[in-house]
Amino acid sequence: MNERPNHVVELREVQLDFPGKRVLDGVSLKVGPLDRLVIMGQSGSGKSTILRMVLGIIRPTAGEIFFKQFEISRLKRRKLQQVRAQIGMVYQYSALLSSRNVRDNVALPLEELTTKSRAEVDQLVDEKLELVGMLDAKNQLPSELSGGMRKRVSLARALVMNPELILFDEPSAGLDPVISSVIDELIISLTERSKVTSIIVTHEMDSAFRIGTRMAMLYQGKIIADASPNEFKKSRHPVVQQFLTGSTEGPILEGSKDAVATK
Amino acid sequence: MFWFLINTLTETLDRVRRGRRPFRAESFFRYTTRAGVESVPLVAMVSFFLGLTMALLTGYQLERFGTERLIPGLVAIAFTRELGPLLTGIMLAARIGASFTAELGTMQVSEEVEAIEAMGIGPLRYLVAPRMLALFALMPCLSLVSSIAAIIASALVCRAYFNIAFVYFQDLVLHSLLIRDLITGVLKSFMFGLLIGAIACYRGLTVRGGAAGVGVSTTSSVVTAITSVIGFDTLYNIVYVVFFP
Repeated sequence: MNERPNHVVELREVQLDFPGKRVLDGVSLKVGPLDRLVIMGQSGSGKSTILRMVLGIIRPTAGEIFFKQFEISRLKRRKLQQVRAQIGMVYQYSALLSSRNVRDNVALPLEELTTKSRAEVDQLVDEKLELVGMLDAKNQLPSELSGGMRKRVSLARALVMNPELILFDEPSAGLDPVISSVIDELIISLTERSKVTSIIVTHEMDSAFRIGTRMAMLYQGKIIADASPNEFKKSRHPVVQQFLTGSTEGPILEGSKDAVATK
Repeated sequence: MFWFLINTLTETLDRVRRGRRPFRAESFFRYTTRAGVESVPLVAMVSFFLGLTMALLTGYQLERFGTERLIPGLVAIAFTRELGPLLTGIMLAARIGASFTAELGTMQVSEEVEAIEAMGIGPLRYLVAPRMLALFALMPCLSLVSSIAAIIASALVCRAYFNIAFVYFQDLVLHSLLIRDLITGVLKSFMFGLLIGAIACYRGLTVRGGAAGVGVSTTSSVVTAITSVIGFDTLYNIVYVVFFP
């Protein structure tokens, strides 16, 4: 593949089977440069799995996943590790290394993957921590921070290698509405300033519409809608409508155990 | 487990081939301190008491035949060749194996290992290699500590109960020690270190099922490591006795 692709991430007919369950059933998605694609869907619908597949941590049963010109689903481990350095990931529960302080957490990729001197690493770490407003907490351990602060540090860690793509797994999960908005705005300003493409997985509507430049809805292993936020709001698809309104009446709960619980 | 070892080795060598240090020296020394230096009191104390008991019990038996001068040689050979490495192996499997498994297991369930992997850092090289190398390098030193502690204990017993002066004791020990026994003990220790490190890290990184999973894996790590150390020791002794009598 020598031609320069016009997408940053592309999923082609991706299928993923777990024992006894088909999680993804022919998912196709394209994420263009500087897009902020929000993937929505029910809890357990496979949204986070898509992020893990883009990182090559989970391999698809069938289909192809591309990050720029690299076919992630076929890369050898060594090459995969090099490609991963160009992707940042912010986990739902931050996944900071609990025994290292904030500075060391953010410095980790630089220390391990580059040959920068300690002074250069310190400068870059300070710069990124300043961006997310966490410079003062530099010497604290993750356990001493609140959920929102941890998420900011996690964001700084994801940004420190100047990646081309950042993946966010439920960025506002477990945060109060105000902090959640602050994190959303931080995501918008940082991705715009650093010219990064991002994929955000969430099931929180407010957050999704605030951040997204494009929205996709995952339902029963398939992408049932992929549009700009305005078009998405106008979608007549009953699942999208039910998801947007949060109604208990509709196709989403039909036949599920949750439906029995509500009735 | 086999592929785990091979992958750790290739991931680490890959890095070396690219002209980079496989891991930071400070990270290696952190583990050598934890696994090695901080284990000295435990290893020394347990070996001291065992040396004491061994000298006393064998001494009273040998005294009946008037051969108590054999005690120094007996303790020295037993510890340098067999009990030193074996006891140290069992103690480290419990003390350090459990700690490595619990630590890596907790990192695994809290997605820290996945985050490291997602950054493009090889978790086997970054997390496993320095731990295994620390145990590999420190194990013979601790076996030596164990043997010395046991010999000192038996010297005290010999002096107090069997009228063997320290100088005479020293002569008897040096006379009975063979280079071959010392080398055997050191070789075994290296292998035990590798075995405990590999089992502990493997069990830690393959934890499934949250906090309970960490508990189950830690127990399993200690049990497997102790059994493997004793099993390997037996195998080693059989091969040694059969092929190098």
